[in-house]
This record gives sequence, C-alpha cells and structure tokens, in this order.
Amino acid sequence: MISQLIFDGLTLGMVYALVAVGYSLVFGILRLVNFSHGSVYAFGAHIAMVVVVTMGYGLIWGLCASIIVTGLLGVAIDKISLEPLRKKKSKQISALITTIGISYIIQNSLMIIFGSESKWFPKIFDLGIIKIGSVSLKSTQVGIFLTSLALLLILSYVIHYTKIGLAMRAIEQNSKAASLMGIDVNQVVSFTFFLGGASAAIAGTLISGYYQVINPQMGFIVGLKAFSAAVLGGIGILHGAVVGGVLVGLSESFAANYLGGGYRDAIAFLILIIVLILKPTGLFGKKHIEKV
Amino acid sequence: MKKNLILVLVLLLVTTSLAGCKSADSGKIRIAIAGPLTGDFAEYGTGFKNAVEMIAKEYNADGGVLGKEIEIVSYDDKNSGEEAASIAERIASDNSIVGVVGHFASGVCMAASPTYQEVGIVEISPSASHPDYSSEGDFIFRNNSLINVEAKETLTIASEVFDAKRVAILSVKTDWGTSTADILMNKLSKDFPNIEIVAHEEIVDGTVDFSPTVTALNAQNPDTIIVCAMYNILGPFASQYKDINPEINLVGFSNAYSEQLIELAKEDAEGIALPAIFFHNSTEPKVANFVSSYEEAYGSVPSSLTAQAYDSMGMIIEAIKASNATDRTKIKEALYDLKYEGVSGLTQFDSNGDALKTFNWLIIKDGQFVEYN
Repeated sequence: MISQLIFDGLTLGMVYALVAVGYSLVFGILRLVNFSHGSVYAFGAHIAMVVVVTMGYGLIWGLCASIIVTGLLGVAIDKISLEPLRKKKSKQISALITTIGISYIIQNSLMIIFGSESKWFPKIFDLGIIKIGSVSLKSTQVGIFLTSLALLLILSYVIHYTKIGLAMRAIEQNSKAASLMGIDVNQVVSFTFFLGGASAAIAGTLISGYYQVINPQMGFIVGLKAFSAAVLGGIGILHGAVVGGVLVGLSESFAANYLGGGYRDAIAFLILIIVLILKPTGLFGKKHIEKV
Repeated sequence: MKKNLILVLVLLLVTTSLAGCKSADSGKIRIAIAGPLTGDFAEYGTGFKNAVEMIAKEYNADGGVLGKEIEIVSYDDKNSGEEAASIAERIASDNSIVGVVGHFASGVCMAASPTYQEVGIVEISPSASHPDYSSEGDFIFRNNSLINVEAKETLTIASEVFDAKRVAILSVKTDWGTSTADILMNKLSKDFPNIEIVAHEEIVDGTVDFSPTVTALNAQNPDTIIVCAMYNILGPFASQYKDINPEINLVGFSNAYSEQLIELAKEDAEGIALPAIFFHNSTEPKVANFVSSYEEAYGSVPSSLTAQAYDSMGMIIEAIKASNATDRTKIKEALYDLKYEGVSGLTQFDSNGDALKTFNWLIIKDGQFVEYN
C-alpha cells in the first residue's frame, strides 16, 4: 500500500514539476511570478482535446499541436502584455497583476468556447497494468513518469549546455550586462515563455490523458500547487522545482490516504509554509545579495 | 455638502424601494426558475430551465392558465448558496412572481428557502433530497425522493443486482453527500445483514485525481462501491477504478443519471447501476411524448431531474388552475390537495411537502441506460 502511494505521488509530482519548471524559468529571468501559467496549462490541454477528440488525429499529433500553439500563446502573452510594461520600466507589481488578469482572460475564453462542464479525454499510454507484488503500476502512470523525466532532462540540457541556455543564465545574473554583451534580451525572454508554455502544454495533455477529464478550471489548483512546488524548491532553480513538485505530489498522495480526501489540497501548502519558515529561500535557494 | 449627500441617499432609498413595486396584474402569470445555468452543474440547471419553458409553452399554446399567458423568469444561482440567497430576496420582493421552481443542490435550496417561507411564496425543488429541506415550512416543497428512501434503493441494488457482500462507500464532501453516506452506514446497513460496509472515503467536489482514493478503497477489497456523487465524479472515478480493478461493481444515485455520465466514462461506464424515478426510454406514451418533444426542442435526452422540473412546473400551474387565483398562499393550499399524474409518475405531497416516488432500476449496457428487471 505504501509503495503504491509513493508511486501515485511520484507520477503526480512529476507533472507538477513540469508545470513548476514554467514558473521557475520565467521567475529566473524576469523576477516575475507568472500567474497566467495555470491557465496556459488548461489551454494546452484544450488544444490537445480539439486535435484528438474533435478532429480525430492521434495523441502524438495532439501533443505536438498543443506544444506549438501553447508555446506561441506564451510568447504572445509576453509580447502583448509584458514587454510593453518592461519598456516603460513600470513597477514589478503591474506585471504581476497583468499576469493574473491574463489568467482570467484565458480561462474565461476557454469557458466561452468549450463550455464550463467536464469533458472526456482519451487515455494515454494505455497498455494495461503491470503488477509488482501488491503494487499495480498503470502503464499510463509509467508513461507519464518517463515522459516527464525525459522532458525535464531535455530542459535542463537546453539550459546548461546550449547557447540560448547560456544567454538565459546570463540574463538571470544580470540582464543589463547581458544586453551589453550583445544578447537580445527580449528574444531570450520570448524563448523562455515558449519553453514555459510548451512544458505546461505537455503537462496539461499528460494529466488530462491520465484522469480522462478536462475542464477550463483545471489549471487553477494545479497552478497554485505547482507554484508552491517552485517556491518550495527555491524559485528560479530548475532542479529545485522538480524536487518541490515531487514533494508536493507525494504529500498529496499520502494526505489523501491517511487524512482523507478533504485535506489533500491543504497539505501541500502546509508543507510550503513550514519550509518557508525554516528556510525562507526554499530548499535549494541561494541568498541574493543586493548590491548598492 | 452633507445635506446634498443625505438628499441623494434618501432619493436612492426611495427609488430602490419603489422599484420592487411592480404591478402584480400585468396580464401574465410569472413563475421563476432558479438553478445553476453556468458552472459545473450547468447541465442540470439548463435542464430545469428547458423543461420549465417547454411546459409553459405547451400551456400557452392551449390559451395559458386562467386566460393568462405564463411567463418564465430565469435566474442563475451558479449552485452557490450566496447567489441563491440573493436571488431569493429578489424573487420574494417581486410581487408579480407567484411561485418558484428550483434551486438545485440541497444546501443551496436551504440557503434560499427561509426567504421563500418568510414572504410566503411556493418553492418546489425538483432535486433537493436532504431530509431537513422541506421542514423549513409549509411553502417549501420538493418533487424528489428523500435521501433515505433512495439510499435504501442503492443498497437493494447492490445486494440484488450485484449480490454484494463487501460494500465500500465513496461520498462527495457536500451536505448531501455526507448525510447520504451517514444514512447508508449508520441507519440502513443493519437492514441488510448480507452486506458488510468495509470502507468509506470522501472527496472534495471538483476532484479529478482519484488515485489515492482508489488505492485506499481497493485495499479493503470491496466487491461493490456505492458512489454518493454526481456524474462529474462517478464518471472519472469509474474510469480510474476500473484501471486498477475492472471487476468492481458500481452503484450510483439518480442525480448521476445523465447522458454525460456515459460521455465521461465511455466503456468504463458499462455496468453502472442506479435507481431513478424517471426513465427516458420508457414505453409509456406520456413519457415517450415528453422525451421526443424535449429532444426535438433542445437536441438532448432529458434526465430524471429535468423530468421532475417539468412536473414541478406542471404542479404549480395546476395549483393555479385549481385555486382559480394567482394568490401565493392559495397556490400553496392547492398544492397540498393536488394529485398530479406527470412524466415522473403520480405525485402527491405529504404534510411536509415531500413527494412520494417509486423507483426504476437502471443499468448501463452497451453505452446506454436500460431498465433492469
């Protein structure tokens, strides 16, 4: 039973990690919490649904379409609403509020177009159950776990070993100096938003294929939990987001079992508060020294 | 400055209080329908509205009632208690409205019913099943069975259809879900000596991930699970449970009786059984007629609660006819004497305002609800 719970929690946690990475990437570069991320996740799932359920193509196509369209939505959010704010050198809080506004615009547009009720989504990686002792591993879970893991590795490769990744890290350290070195900051920011949107789209599609339901409000609570996962691991740090996501997933799985379903959402936030009291920068966070 | 402000405030007060005084005799009989028209329960609320509008149209085509046209006023309460309470205030203060069909969830109904009782306007809920709902007062009716009657049906289904020995219960954490689970476990289970209740789990409405719940329930090795929740939970739960254990038998409640259940769970919906007052494939001419004209008008099959909304409206209209008046109190008195032969069976209110209903057993076979004999 405990190993079953661990596995359930790990699967869920990997998906949270994928969403949390999106928060972390944008925060790393812009020092901005992008609250529209949860709705972007729901948007990605709906694009996949249109391609797979309505148009009848395979899941792979749905996933590809969703990655591209949702990635572009991420870029559009930045270009339309956040870049003008940066150009005017407006305060951080305006950008924050803007992302909350965008989150509602996306969510309500989804409700208008698709209706607010829950809809069916086909199951992914459906190859039956693998039994190991008392643990039954669903092929769907294994598939989700491996896909997320692969994606997180690719993301981490992009950030640490490619030119654009180097540019991202440079901007993270000092965006003015990076721009003086000839890095096109706005282009890199757009790329970051694309990565964030794409990872949210993948997470959204995987989770919908796992639970087989989809609705426009699905991004709200996942967004909150992924955000707390990102903060838990130390926001802005990629592997921190992954560890945070897995911790949130595991705590949820155990809480639902031992404390009852009513506490599953609360427990992630409880852990977040405790960690922040003990270590305000999160598990892997570094202290930023403000130089005057 | 201060004087001006006071003047403005007084004017505001006067105009708003006058706004409520519409003439009661506008040549039309106005009846309100309140329910969730948006949100996760929009399917039910829209069904209410459609049914009520349909029967009003049918009466209007025959020249209305008491020579007047029936007009429907619809309100969206989003299935929220706060919204419902404020809608109740608005309906109560509008003298031209003679009765209310509505409010969906028991908890939401009970947030609105004190207002209806206080001003004395009839409320018939087609769906409330909480025992306390109708005891609010004599103006509060329900055209639905009580929880304990229906809960007993689900246990009977479990024991007779599935020959259940080990039953687990999953309930949604709402007023209705919690009381239903409580009644099943503490009151009714002793009437079924063959059945042992082995587990009980609760979930918050809107949950999509059931894996921890499934793990916890499956650990107790039940053969049948009674799910006290609506289709939006029963559907995904069935899919996720059958992933782990395809042998499980599932019993639902009549509020999960909706085409959406099959849409959501697809092949995993197969074999789900539930009690229902109304069955849309019935061969009875009255029901068949209702279903076909509803399908023609709205493009979908009416659910059980939709049929009960249709009958609720029918009863208010018949009560107006019988009392020969549009007086709110006279309508109430006429309702207690009414014997109404509707699409959801013969309905008569007892002194609490509760309707006594008989159940059909439905089971999903080949992607369709069929009657179980």
